[in-house]
Order: sequence, then C-alpha cells, then structure tokens
Amino acid sequence: MSAAGGVILEARGLSVRFGGLLALNALDLTVRRGEVLGLIGPNGSGKTTFFNVTSGIYAAAAGRILLDGRDITREPAHNLARLGLARTFQRARLCLPLSVFDNIALGAQERLPQGLVDNLLRRRSLARDIEALAEEARTLARLFNPDLARRLSDPAIALGMIDRRRVEICRALIGRPKILLLDEPSAGMTHEETNQLVDEILAVQRRNGDLTIVIVEHEMGLIERITDRCIVLNYGRKICEGRFREVAADPTVREAYLGPS
Amino acid sequence: MSVNPMSQPPASAALPAVRSGAPARSLPDFAIFAAVVALSAGAVAFLVHAEDQRVILAALLGLGLAWAAAARLRVIAAVERGSAAHPWPARMVMAGACAAVLVVLRQDNFGLLMLATVLIYATTCLGLTIQLGYAGLSNFAAAAFVGCGGYTAAAFGRIEGLALPDAAVILLGGVTAVAVGSALILPVLRTRGHYAALTTLAFGVMFNVFLDANELLGGPQGLKLAPINLFGWDFSQDPVLFGVEFSFYANYALLCLALTAGALVLAGLLDRSWMGIRLDAVRLDEVAAQVFGLRVARWKILAFTLGNALAGMAGAVYAKMTGFIAPNNFTLGDSLMMVSIVILGGIGNRWGVLPAALIVVLLPEKLQFIQEYRLLLFAVLVILVLVLSPGGLLPRRTRTLAGGAA
Amino acid sequence: MSMIGQHVLNGLMQGTIYGLVAMGFTIFFGVMNVIKFSHGDVLAFGAFGALVAAAGAAAAGLPPGLQLAAALAAAVGLTAALGAGIARALILPLRSAPPLNMLLMTMMVGTVIREAIRLFFPGGTNPQRFPSLLPSGGTTLGGVFVRTDGLILMAAGILLIALVHHVITRTRFGLAMRAVAEDPETARTMGVNFARIVPLTFALGSATAGFAGLLSGLYYSEINYGMGLLIAVIGFSAAIVGGLGNIWGAILGGYLFAGLQTAVVAALPGLSDYKNVFAFVAVIALITWRPTGLLAERASERV
Repeated sequence: MSAAGGVILEARGLSVRFGGLLALNALDLTVRRGEVLGLIGPNGSGKTTFFNVTSGIYAAAAGRILLDGRDITREPAHNLARLGLARTFQRARLCLPLSVFDNIALGAQERLPQGLVDNLLRRRSLARDIEALAEEARTLARLFNPDLARRLSDPAIALGMIDRRRVEICRALIGRPKILLLDEPSAGMTHEETNQLVDEILAVQRRNGDLTIVIVEHEMGLIERITDRCIVLNYGRKICEGRFREVAADPTVREAYLGPS
Repeated sequence: MSVNPMSQPPASAALPAVRSGAPARSLPDFAIFAAVVALSAGAVAFLVHAEDQRVILAALLGLGLAWAAAARLRVIAAVERGSAAHPWPARMVMAGACAAVLVVLRQDNFGLLMLATVLIYATTCLGLTIQLGYAGLSNFAAAAFVGCGGYTAAAFGRIEGLALPDAAVILLGGVTAVAVGSALILPVLRTRGHYAALTTLAFGVMFNVFLDANELLGGPQGLKLAPINLFGWDFSQDPVLFGVEFSFYANYALLCLALTAGALVLAGLLDRSWMGIRLDAVRLDEVAAQVFGLRVARWKILAFTLGNALAGMAGAVYAKMTGFIAPNNFTLGDSLMMVSIVILGGIGNRWGVLPAALIVVLLPEKLQFIQEYRLLLFAVLVILVLVLSPGGLLPRRTRTLAGGAA
Repeated sequence: MSMIGQHVLNGLMQGTIYGLVAMGFTIFFGVMNVIKFSHGDVLAFGAFGALVAAAGAAAAGLPPGLQLAAALAAAVGLTAALGAGIARALILPLRSAPPLNMLLMTMMVGTVIREAIRLFFPGGTNPQRFPSLLPSGGTTLGGVFVRTDGLILMAAGILLIALVHHVITRTRFGLAMRAVAEDPETARTMGVNFARIVPLTFALGSATAGFAGLLSGLYYSEINYGMGLLIAVIGFSAAIVGGLGNIWGAILGGYLFAGLQTAVVAALPGLSDYKNVFAFVAVIALITWRPTGLLAERASERV
C-alpha cells in the first residue's frame, strides 16, 4: 500500500495567526507520495487550519508550503486545483440546491471550457462534453454506491449524510488530484456508515495507486484502519509522528489528549 | 443504464443537452404547453384591452384561481416537460402567441405601449436574474443602469452633426451601462452581503441626485428624444403588414419583444452550460468554488457586465420609445420594483420574470381605482409573497444537464 | 471664519441625527443580523406622530413645555410600538430567509409606512410645518451665531446616544440583548427569552429613530412623508462605513457622512447640489478600502 516515492507535500516552519492566537506554530511536516497520512490531535490543535492554509483559504504568517517541490504558500486558492490538490470540508460543503451531477462537475471544472463561445454557442460539443463527464461521474459514483450513480439528476439536498460525503469525495476525485485532503469524513455519520465509507476510500486509493491522502479525523478506529502513518498536532505544533500504534502509545500524545497526569 | 442517451438522435440541433421524460408522455405534455401558452396570450390580450374595472377584477380573480389549480394539478411541470421535449415547436408556439397578441391589439396605442414597457422591465429583470439569481450579486441600482442607457440615447441625439444609426445607439446604451458599472466592480468584488447591497444602493441614489443636479442632462426636467429609425424602418410610422394596419407602437412592442427574447435565450444558454454551474457555485459557496479552481472574481464580473448590458440596452429603447426621460424614471423605487419582480417570479427562474413583470407593471395601469394606492398595494403584495411563498410564482428547478436516470 | 463655524455647527447637528439613525441600524444588525431598511420611514412616522401630538396639546391649550413633552412621548412611544410590531410580525417569522429577502421585505415595509403617511395624513403629499417648541434666539460665540434650540437638540441627541450605550452595556436588558447577538441558541438555553428580547430591542432602536425624527422636525421646522428614504440610505451607509454591529462605528460613520457633506458645501459652494454625490462616492470608496467597515473586527469565516 505504501509505495513511498518521495515527498509530495511539505510544510516548513509554517505559522498561521488569528489575532493573538497562533493556530499553527512553526509547523514542519512532510507527506510522502502515495501514502495515507492521518493528521490527529485534540480540538483546536490546528489540523483543519493546516488544510485551510494549504488549500489557500487562509494566509500563512510565516513559513512555506511546497507541493511537488513548488512553493504554493502564496498561490491563490483557485490555482491549487490545477496543481493537483483537492479537498473535502468538515461540514460537507455541497451546493445543496444543485444536482449531484452539477456538484461533481464543479470538481472537474479546470478541464471544462471557460469561454463564452464554447459555453453558449458550441452546443453540440457542449452536449458531448456533458455526456462524457456524466459517464465519468457515474463510474466514479458507482465505486461508492451504485444507487448514487443513478441519482445524478437529484438535488444534493435530497441525499442522506453518507451520500453527501460520497458526492463530496467524488467531486474531489473527478479532478484527478495528486493529493486529497479529507477533513473529518466521519462527521455526522453513524459508526457503520463510517466503516463503509472507509472501505470505499481504501478501494479508491488501491485502484489509484499514486493518490496521496491526508486525513483529519477524530474517529481513531478509522485512523487505525486506513492510515500508513500518523502525525499528531497540539497547539499548532507537531508533537509526534509514526505508525498509529506507536503514536497511540506515546506518552506526550496521551498527555495532549488527556491533559497532564 | 436503461436508455443510452447517445443512441438517440438529439431532439433538436440547437439544444441537444435538453432531454427529458419518457417519449410517450411528451406529446400530451406538449399539448398542455401549447394550450397554456395560448390561454396566457389570450388572457394578456384581454387584460390589456379591457376597460371595465369589474371585468378586469373578475378576470384577475379567474387567473388567480387558474394559477392555483395549475399548481395543484402539476400543469406547470407538464408545461416544462412539454417545452423541453420539443424546443423548436415550443418556440414556434410562443412566437405565434406573441404575433396573435400583436394582431389583436394592433390599434391599441396605450395597450401596446404598456406591453412594450412590461418587456423593457422583463429584459432588465433578466439581467438582474443573471446577477442576482445566478451569481448572487445584489444590485439595488438596476434602474440607474437603465437610466445610463436612456441618457446615452438622449445625449447622442443632442450632438449636432453626429447621426449615429439607432442600432448603434442602443448598443452604446448597453456599453455605457457596462462602463459606468465597471466603476462599481471593485467595490462589488471586495464586499459581501449587506456591504455589497449598500454599494449598489448608494450608487443608485447617487445617480439620481447627480441627474437632478446636472444642467447638461436637463436636470429634473429631463431630455427629449427622437423616435427610433432602425435601418430605414421608421418607428413613428404606422406599419401595414399583409394589408392590416398597426399602431406605430407595434414597432416598439416588436423591438422590445426581440430584446426580451434575446435576453431569455442568453439567460437560458448561460444557465444550461458549465457557466451556469460556475455562477451557481459562486453564489452558493464561494470558498468551495475557489478550492475547485473557480476564479470567483471573473465570474462575478461576467454576470455583472451581462446584466448591466441588458439594462442599458433596455434603457436606450425605453427612452426612445417614450420620447422623453427624466431622473424620476430611474429612482431607487424603480430599482426595488425590479428586484421585486425577480423575487416575485421565482429568483433564478428566467421564465418567472415574464408573469411577474406583467403583474407589477400592468396591474396598477389597468386598475384605475388603485392608481393612488398603487405603491402601497404593491409593497403589501411583495411582503405577502415574501412571507407566504418566498419561492415566488415559478420556483427555480434543479438543473439537469446530464441525460435522465441512466 | 464665521461661515466656517456655521458650517461646523450645521454639520454637527446633521451628524447627530445620522449617528442616531445609524445606531439603530447597527443595533438591529447586531441582534438579528438584519438590515431594517424601514428605519428611516419609522423616523418619519415618529416625526408625524410628534407633530400630531404637539398640535393636539396646543389645541388643548397646554403650554409649549407640555406640547414638547407630548411630542416627545408620541415620537418615542409610537416608533417603539411600531418597531416592536414589525419585529414580532415580520422579522422574527422570516429570520431564516435569505438576507436579500429580508432586506427587500423591510424596504417594502418602509414603502408601506411612507405611502400610508402620504395617503392618510391630511395633506400628506405636501411638506408640513413643524412648530418651534424650543426657546428661539441664540448667542454669538467667537463671531459665530449659535441657535439656542440647536444647542439643546444636539445636547439631547448626544445624551440619548449615551443613554442607549448605557442601556446596552450596563443593564440586564442590555446583557440579554448582547447574549442574543452573540449566540441566539446559547442565550435561549441560558434562559433569555428570545421572542421577547428581539421586539424589545427593535423597540429601543426604533425609539431612537423617533427621537431623531423629532430632532429633525424641531431643527428644520419642516417634515415631509418622504424624509425617511434618504436618511435611511445615509444611516445605512454610516453604519456600514463604521462597521455593522459596532455602535461607535455607527456614530463615527454618521458624523463622517455629515462632515463630508459639509466639507463639500463649505469648500465648493457652487457644487453644493452635488454634496450627496460626493459623500456617496466617498462611502463607496471607503467600503472598498475597508470591506467590513472602519471599526469592525475582521470576521474570519469558519470553514
């Protein structure tokens, strides 16, 4: 599973500041190509902040982020999709009134025609593009749930929580990213649903061997099953790194979660 | 996959992306569509022509009941399916209905002027639909952009020795509105929510104060304009077609109809393309849109520009049609009326704009006894719609670009 | 010199009225996240109520002092009731609607109030003379003529601002209000009666508008049914420029707007018709520069 082939994402001395609060404090971490990395830590330790600064939503106060060796610290959010980065959000951020297909198509938008002429006047080729993308979306959705593949025309608001998560992950995958950031995929789902989703994510990763996944999660069972490696954050710093078993046994980690004993 | 959409020949050459429903149902649906269009055209012609207040009230009551029944019996959904299944025949039916209304009202000066005004409002509101309904940009200065177009037409008419063709003047109306609007682009892009609403609101009020104070543009008295002459087609002459004589206002009604149809086509093509999805994403979730590579600013500018261009062109035609414009025609109240039309029709649904514009523009003109109370009743009506049916007359449907349930 | 002094005084008076109106906008926004655009028309409603009460008291043969008291009671009482009514009937039920719908709704409520005054007040289409109930005359200070009533009105306006600030920061009601503003859910679980606090807050905010309407009537000796519209746009601008939800921002915005108007009139008398054009251009420029207002904390969006 872990075909570690060098570094794909790297943070060097990365700091993010909210007013007087250092959400990330000179964080150093590396993500290796093709691995599934778990990012864990207590609430407010900076996990989601790391995702937000990496995907260009927050600005870094100091330090650098490198994607495939390229400095993306100051890259605007809308350029990162093209560079191979995709993500999901803690509270599934789908466009609820739009159809499942529209939501998934948003993830592919980098390769869809941008100009007025292509969109408004070349309707035949537009129709062909739409069918091709719909087929791709169906194939992708079928990996998760065959039923979902039949519901591309339904509004996202009609879906249950687990299907919304699946659509979100499909939206991230259809852009064929190199690295996928999953922010708490288990939030709002039952234990069984979470397990199911984990199997599906692993299946996708296996099919797509060079896909790197970074996952933020509180559900430790999920982390244990899915990750090759874990990084523990506390107060915006990395306090531990290694396989889940090793990390879970580490006294500093226990202290971070349970408080000093 | 039960049906492979690619194996069927597209229903039409122009809009193959639109496909819906089982073929077996599409013929009855189309019949329902044609019947509804014919009935609506009849109702419009009747309402515009009727004078007796009691008859008008009774007709309105009947229409209201018919609307409620139609909603109950899912007639509106059938109409949508019917027209989507056969787009070109549907367009022919609509064109025929419009022609029939024109023929029936051929000598009714005031009626034709009213209808043309409704279409001017509809065109502007289609621009607002692109801004507000698609991209989520609040614009409380639509009337000011209409005014930009109107004053451009008036100003070009006053320059001695410069005889621009009127087609160019109308286009320039749109260009001016876009140019004036571009001064607002930076504030519109940088602000959100109420802060964005204020920028356009302040601009609309400012525009009016400016016109009132500006002697060159006629001040509060306004400016006069000459009638339209489009490539030798003199709009001040009563046209004769197939031996039937029309009022000269039929020229304007026809031009306004063309403008509205163009705006409808534009809004429709936008909506049913990748751009429609992008604009919706910008409206619904800017952050997610950015993360997936959307240049939010670019799409906002596009929507703002297209909307203002439509308003400006509508304004130029309006000014030429009425022959006279003054700051009073382009007040904050008018802008609010336009936003109300968009919400009343069902925000984001381009077809909803038509019945909503008809109601808002036509009713006060026709119901003489409410003349004095028109603003009051209008405001109450909008409040009622917002409280009781915030989706409007024709709530927007989920876009289905990809072929049915495959 | 005396001209400039006169301009400064006028600007201060105008700024006090704008500040009071902007404060109302910011209070409503703080508690319910809504822009109550009918605020300006509520102000006009208060002014007309005060006019009726003063006329009634005069007809009953009461002395000017009591006429003033009647006018004040009517302006504040009527607007408070109207504000609470609007909150209860329209704003609370629609609080989950999109902001645009809410904004349009309150604009239409304003239209209803405005049209009702025009149609149902005797001669409502024309401007109405407002009686002068304050001592006339004035003194000359450093070459500047100062109207006594102007001084009294300005002092009253500033006093009211201080009073409202005191209510919000120092009373139990103010505490409940701020709790609702911070987090309605938590406030409810803490025992704050949401459905009661919101109308009361709107009553408070609207009463300041009624007071501002009275000030404006007394100072300019004339009121008209449409006076609220421009004041609403200006008050909204002031609240936005200052930063929504920030009372000091609103007051700063109010004086800033009046200052801009006055500066144009004083520096370019030939362009005084354009004073609002200049002021609005400045407002648009200011919010382009500071998109969340001058004094607002930068709201970080939770992702």
